[in-house]
Amino acid sequence: MILRKTISRTIKEKKFQYAGVTLLLVLAVMLYVSLSMAITTLEERNDTFTREYKQEAFHWMSSDPLPDEELQALEEQFEVTLERRAYQDISTDENSSLRLFEPTTEVNLPFISQGEMPENEGEIAIAETFADRNGFNIGDVVSMGGLEAKITGYVFLPDYIYMIEQQTDLLADASIFGVGVTTSETLAALSGNEQQQILGWTNSNEVPEGLRSAVNTISTLLQFISSEDNARIQFVESEIEGAQSLITTLPLFILGLSIAMVLMLMKRRLELQRKEIGTLMALGYRKRELRRHYLGYAWIVGLIGTMTGLVLGAGLSLPLSDLYATYFNLPALSMFDFDPVVLVVGFVIPLVLLLSLTMLVVNRTLKTEPLTLLKPKEMSSGKKSWLEKLPWLNKGSFIRRFRLRLLVRSKARSFYIFLGVMFSTVLLLFGLITFNSMDRLVETTYEDIQKYEYAVHYSSIQTEDRDDDSPYTMAEVTINEEKVSLYGIEPDTDDLHLMSEGERLNDQLTEGVVISRPLAAIQKVGAGDELTLTNSFNDKKWTVQVAGVADVFIGSNVYVPRTEANDFLGYPESAYTSVWQDDKPASMENVFMVEDKQKVMASFESTSGATRNSVLGMSVFAVLIGVIVLTLLTNLIVEENSPSISLFKVMGYHEKEVSKLVLNVYTPIVVVSYFISIPFASLGIEQTMNTLVQQTGFIFPTDVTWWMVLIGFLVIMMTYGISLSLSKRKLKKVSLQEALKKQQD
Amino acid sequence: MTIVVERVNKVYQSGEVDIHALREASLNVPDNKIVTILGPSGSGKSTLLNVIGGIDRFDGGSVRVAGQSLENLKDGQLTEFRRTYAGFIFQQYNLIPTLTVEENVEVGKELSQNPLDMKDTLEKVGMWDKKDKFPYQLSGGEQQRVAIARALIKNPTFLLCDEPTGALDEETGKNILRLLKYVNETYGTTVLIITHNQGIGDMAHKVIRMSSGEIVEEYENENPIEPEKVTWA
Ligand SMILES: Nc1ncnc2c1ncn2[C@@H]1O[C@H](COP(=O)(O)OP(=O)(O)O)[C@@H](O)[C@H]1O
Ligand SMILES: [Mg+2]
Repeated sequence: MILRKTISRTIKEKKFQYAGVTLLLVLAVMLYVSLSMAITTLEERNDTFTREYKQEAFHWMSSDPLPDEELQALEEQFEVTLERRAYQDISTDENSSLRLFEPTTEVNLPFISQGEMPENEGEIAIAETFADRNGFNIGDVVSMGGLEAKITGYVFLPDYIYMIEQQTDLLADASIFGVGVTTSETLAALSGNEQQQILGWTNSNEVPEGLRSAVNTISTLLQFISSEDNARIQFVESEIEGAQSLITTLPLFILGLSIAMVLMLMKRRLELQRKEIGTLMALGYRKRELRRHYLGYAWIVGLIGTMTGLVLGAGLSLPLSDLYATYFNLPALSMFDFDPVVLVVGFVIPLVLLLSLTMLVVNRTLKTEPLTLLKPKEMSSGKKSWLEKLPWLNKGSFIRRFRLRLLVRSKARSFYIFLGVMFSTVLLLFGLITFNSMDRLVETTYEDIQKYEYAVHYSSIQTEDRDDDSPYTMAEVTINEEKVSLYGIEPDTDDLHLMSEGERLNDQLTEGVVISRPLAAIQKVGAGDELTLTNSFNDKKWTVQVAGVADVFIGSNVYVPRTEANDFLGYPESAYTSVWQDDKPASMENVFMVEDKQKVMASFESTSGATRNSVLGMSVFAVLIGVIVLTLLTNLIVEENSPSISLFKVMGYHEKEVSKLVLNVYTPIVVVSYFISIPFASLGIEQTMNTLVQQTGFIFPTDVTWWMVLIGFLVIMMTYGISLSLSKRKLKKVSLQEALKKQQD
Repeated sequence: MTIVVERVNKVYQSGEVDIHALREASLNVPDNKIVTILGPSGSGKSTLLNVIGGIDRFDGGSVRVAGQSLENLKDGQLTEFRRTYAGFIFQQYNLIPTLTVEENVEVGKELSQNPLDMKDTLEKVGMWDKKDKFPYQLSGGEQQRVAIARALIKNPTFLLCDEPTGALDEETGKNILRLLKYVNETYGTTVLIITHNQGIGDMAHKVIRMSSGEIVEEYENENPIEPEKVTWA
């Protein structure tokens, strides 16, 4: 069809507009495809590794090792597979620590991705990320823990996908902690104290009922963790779940914007070509021929946009997958481990939406009688809208009236400008808040609140008097079936300042309990509300009143005076399980675990680099989308008003004055939209955090500070400025003849 | 007879008042002839032409064109009717600005199963040397020639021309009239010309005069004059 030529010529003539909408579409598809591919890859790898390498359903440690006969009896009684695994933590010369396991054959099977499994004494295989970050390579001989160890390969362990040292650790950092496997002999020859754990695997991946107490009667349990509560296993699953909403929401928003823009261009095109359409209809062109013709625009934008988006997205998913690989230790067990449905969805959904909505718009015009189309538009709809009849629109100087009327006439444009600015603002503020919250979280939690350096946990209850250190009792209880850490502390301790907006809440412990922010968010409670704690061992209940919520952003914690905690738990009055202190414990006797605050902070600092980069990426993204949307809109506005612009020029107005008349009209909308968006952004991120808190166990401080508002404002105004200057160039190009030409029609 | 119109009415509801654009209009147009419809502005000429061309509906009466009763046709059938039989020429030419002269004519050519030859047609309207120009590079008269070629190339049974010279000066206008006469003589196409320019009536085989939606006069010219001799108003 010869008409097809008009499509390519129109697009060439308006390349800026069509490139803009196509770019938006590319961004939407690219974002969706890259994130989805990376996430489905992660999911697929996790599923395969979990299944084929027999990830544990639970593991436990007890005060005395269970003899083999006992294990066998338990296996038969509960229909589980149990396997004993010994391990030891050793320090490397690089100041990192390595947890070496003996190889297993039934549960948590190690997977060697490169090199070989250690077979001889002195050989080890370690996690690849750990090797990378510490500068180790296969074949190296490294000295660690008094051992000259030869690295024979890289290993993945199904129960250390998220490689954290303690269950309570928030961030994995392969430069300070890693895992590896070695032969049982090598392990036995190491100087440190060897630990033993029992790994369990079941068909259903559930912990059999009664197993826990059965074990506990044989030997007191120090730890019993199901895979569901195991952060090393669970965190990757939370990440997958959490990312899913991001994957769909953000691209869907951009897709929506881009489709709205295409429809706007389409409507404009149809408006401009009314007479042409009428003529073609009069000539005898069929509706479906014309429909096909006008859908051609959508096809071109849609195909180019989705295809480019797919290719770029697929490409981008590789570095994204690599990024995930540094967080989660999952081997690539198959070549194509992403979900191909992603590609289909990323291609089909935008295209179908775009085409069907364009079809609606086109059909509306095609429904119009050819005769109506042939007549100038003014004749058929010359009526003023009710808005234009408002008296305040018709008062004041000519300039004022002109600008106001322009605003009213282009309601749709104004609305989209509003939306575009809002979208960019929300994205930008999300970035800024996240950027700030990492610092705030570290500052408040590790500097303002935790005043100690080490937290030492004992493997049994202590009662011996401690002078300089702060003893406390810590135990796991439940509130409404959710696990909560109960802290029994000395209210006047100098090692823990329960701060809330600069105020110390320790004194209020006499009036009630103090809780952490995540707990407040999960239980939806605040000061004055009541909570009922349940002791998981004996079902004893204790109802307390919340005296305050401290700015503790990590963990579901309840703080009470130590004596009250001991009373509730049935411990002696002077009992404690742990101690906060400033020096590293001299002896490890009876010590179950030591938390080193500086290490935790260091790992936070190291991840904040990545966060900062993603924030930067997000801001660039926000600006890019803002520029595209605003430029598109102001461009259209110039185009639509070119007869008036030309007339102003003919009359002797300067370009500056004309652009003030036509373009700067939208400045108030941009400003208003920005300030309206701020509470939206803050509310949005708070909402997101609250829904994520159950999975992550931490909350980010989400306050908006004045400097964020200022920076955001500058960025948005810069975005608007860029769009304006781009559109001013178009305004300059409007010719003087335009005014004369139009009058002939 | 190519076109037979019988007691056709057309009422526009415009706010509170009804406008009778056509009142019991009847006429017939013999085959292969040039017919002009004269009348002052607002007398219903365009309405009548649009009814005949199948781009407007009417209220009562019957219109038979090329053997088809238009009142019985559905929208899709009307499209097919126009596609096959009608050629439209507008006062404002209505060319597609993004297509060249040849491509604009191609738009008409695609509608026909057995169209005329492109080169031949463009030569006949005198636009072959400018076939690669875009509409904005042409004068009004040249654009109207292209519009005529676009209508002509699908070899229609009749040409419907609504004020074809309305936007043109005398010399250019007469050239267009000359071209329409040439088309009528060469291809035997029935040509219906609407105009408020009284003089043009003298070149037609038949003249129909309208006033306030009614046909007030209908006569045949024994000896139509040459377009050059038309008195220009
Ligand atoms: N779409 C319309 N709505 C209302 N009135 C119309 C419409 N089209 C034409 N008319 C009226 O019908 C009458 C005849 O119009 P028209 O056929 O265009 O006259 P002419 O072509 O002779 O100037 C005029 O009074 C005109 O105002
Ligand atoms: Mg008319």
